[in-house]
Amino acid sequence: MSPSELFTERPEFATATVSLDLATNVFATGLNGAISRPPRAEPTAISLIDPPQVAERWRPTRTRVLTVGLTFPAGLEFVPPKPAPDEQQHTLRKLLPPGANVPGASGDGGKPVKKSTRLKPPADALSLQDRLFYVLQPPLEQWLSGQELVMPFEPFPFQYEGIAWLFSQEAALLADEMGLGKTMQTITAMRLLLRSGQIRRALLVCPKPLIPNWQREFKTWAGELPVTTIEGDNARRKMIWTMPGNGILLTNYELMVRDVAEFEEHELPTFDLLVLDEAQRIKNRGSRTAQTARGIKRRRAWALTGTPIENRPDELSSLYEFLEVIAPSDHPDLRQLTRLAEQYILRRTKDLVMKDMPPRLDRDEYLSLAPAQELAYKTAEKDGIVQLNEMGETISVQHVFELVLRLKQISNYDPLTGESSKLERLCADMEEIAASGGKAILFSQWTRTLDWINKQIIERVENCNPLIYHGGVPNKQREPILAKFKDDPDSHLLLMSYGTGAVGLNLQFAGYVFLFDRWWNPAVEDQAINRAHRIGCKSQVIVTKFICKDTVEERIDKVLAEKRALFAAILGGGEQTNASLSMNASEIFGLFDLKAPVKQGGLRAIGPKAA
Amino acid sequence: MAAIGTTDLKLGFLTAIELAGGGYVGGLLVTNRFGRPLEFQCTTPVRPNRTQEILYGTTLRSFVLGELIGKTLVEKSAVKPDVVLTEGDDLLELRSHVAQPVAVVEQNGGLRIGRHSLRFHPSHADDHSRLASSAESVPEQADLFEPFERVREALHETMKASAARV
Repeated sequence: MSPSELFTERPEFATATVSLDLATNVFATGLNGAISRPPRAEPTAISLIDPPQVAERWRPTRTRVLTVGLTFPAGLEFVPPKPAPDEQQHTLRKLLPPGANVPGASGDGGKPVKKSTRLKPPADALSLQDRLFYVLQPPLEQWLSGQELVMPFEPFPFQYEGIAWLFSQEAALLADEMGLGKTMQTITAMRLLLRSGQIRRALLVCPKPLIPNWQREFKTWAGELPVTTIEGDNARRKMIWTMPGNGILLTNYELMVRDVAEFEEHELPTFDLLVLDEAQRIKNRGSRTAQTARGIKRRRAWALTGTPIENRPDELSSLYEFLEVIAPSDHPDLRQLTRLAEQYILRRTKDLVMKDMPPRLDRDEYLSLAPAQELAYKTAEKDGIVQLNEMGETISVQHVFELVLRLKQISNYDPLTGESSKLERLCADMEEIAASGGKAILFSQWTRTLDWINKQIIERVENCNPLIYHGGVPNKQREPILAKFKDDPDSHLLLMSYGTGAVGLNLQFAGYVFLFDRWWNPAVEDQAINRAHRIGCKSQVIVTKFICKDTVEERIDKVLAEKRALFAAILGGGEQTNASLSMNASEIFGLFDLKAPVKQGGLRAIGPKAA
Repeated sequence: MAAIGTTDLKLGFLTAIELAGGGYVGGLLVTNRFGRPLEFQCTTPVRPNRTQEILYGTTLRSFVLGELIGKTLVEKSAVKPDVVLTEGDDLLELRSHVAQPVAVVEQNGGLRIGRHSLRFHPSHADDHSRLASSAESVPEQADLFEPFERVREALHETMKASAARV
């Protein structure tokens, strides 16, 4: 085929028909009718003038208010004492309530503001009612400020705090340093508890010599309270113990032990409050005194002492057991003791609270023995040590102790010649003190030494007029002696034994304290010194401690200084150890460079019985 | 109206604290003339509902404090106060609902009592004379604002106790 043929040849076309009418299959869903049905409009007439509808009625109804209530117990009313004919009312200083004359207190302007001390609920008060009871009490200053309860003198702020704390505590150990007014704080807290109906019947136990002191302080601070001293024969005492009615019973430790033993178990009287003054008396848990005190039934228990630890921290356990804050015979460790102290002990020191109190000046007088005295001392020491060495294994701490006592007595004065370097020094000092109208207290552990000093001073120091106050002086004569020392301007020296004079007495008018010989425990020495250096003292107190050089006194003084440091560490919450604070056998033997036999070791406290 | 006796005058200190979530708790402390407590009553939290809020408007506070809280507390107290003392006018409205005089404690003016003064409800002018003689039995150095502090502290203590129970 030629190319032209190719172009001329007609192509052949074929056509095919495609139907555009696609078949649709409709399923019977039921909607189809609705889709295809044209909408139908049906108008409805709406009236524009609706009649007004009254909405649901609201009427104010009184909402029910729920309440919680607390009624306070009725307080006890006491008849105020009539002032004695010679007692002028104006001698008592009536206090102004808080805020009186104090600025800014409620915006009065221009008047001084006084701190107010509020009662706080105790940590262990769980019920709301109990807590509200404390929260709703008026500030102490208001309570005690010449409105309902007249106070003769205005307490210091720290004393208000102490009163508030005691008021709230069912178990309390008030361990303020001596001289800060534990007595007044206790009496006032008791007074408030009685007056507010919290307690009705209280028992206060103190050492026998302090009974007149407590009687006097109750009269001063709460004259309206009925205070009955338990005294007389057995029948009378039993009658007083069981006497119905409200008020305060006052007794001493010895009578407490004796009288309570007379009661059958079911007869034992119960008290709302039991207070132990100088509570270190029950530091030995197994002692009859401690057991008796624990056996007296009461709701509240307070212990008062300036020296909660005299020798060992464990002594606190006995006090805690009395307060019923530890289980019987429980032995808390130091960590537990410290934790309990936070809740149950209140201790303030003069350094902290009485910054403006006159200072106490300690003066250690190191004296050389007089010639005859020195000879006697050396002979006694030499012979004594020889004897001790000869005893071999039979030697006991008591043997060494007896030697210490003998040497201490010679250090006071030579019994043969009467020579005494201490007396020489004392006479010189007393001449000056008497001439200047001052007053001094002298402490010794021996009544015989006190009698000897008395005789010597009378002979050698003119116009000194010494007075003696020790265990040998009958009770009835003691108060007049103290009164004479206080009131007689010609009486310049009071000779006291540590045992009788160291606790509870207020002798803040004395500006001088002499420790003629040293006690075995620094706490007891502090107690003695604080008879003079306490609240109310107007001028500095000079404390003179006589220490004879190169004698056992010097060695004891060193041990005492170390004990004092340990004592401060434990009560101050500083480093604490389990070490005993007592002079133990090793320390006693060490005074003479002797070695304690092994069997004599241990921590038994030593020391003579107080005179 | 008879004058109130002087020897056993009982003072009621009424106050309330506002709660963070709305509402109030109120407390009434009845004391003797020296401020020593005789009885304390307090309410559980009182919260007005939305309807009350809208309808009482600006009078809501005095309604809740005076009529609801104050009246209930005075009625509930077993030791009836001779006079109810308040710190502000909201609670003064209580006077319309109780028989006792109700007064606002102020620094100056009005009836002198203790270190402060009392202003009474204007519609009860004779309250002043009813209390005039017995007001002298209150010690002149008495601080009449102090007890309100005690009531507030007690209310907080109560709230804490309630919260602890929840």
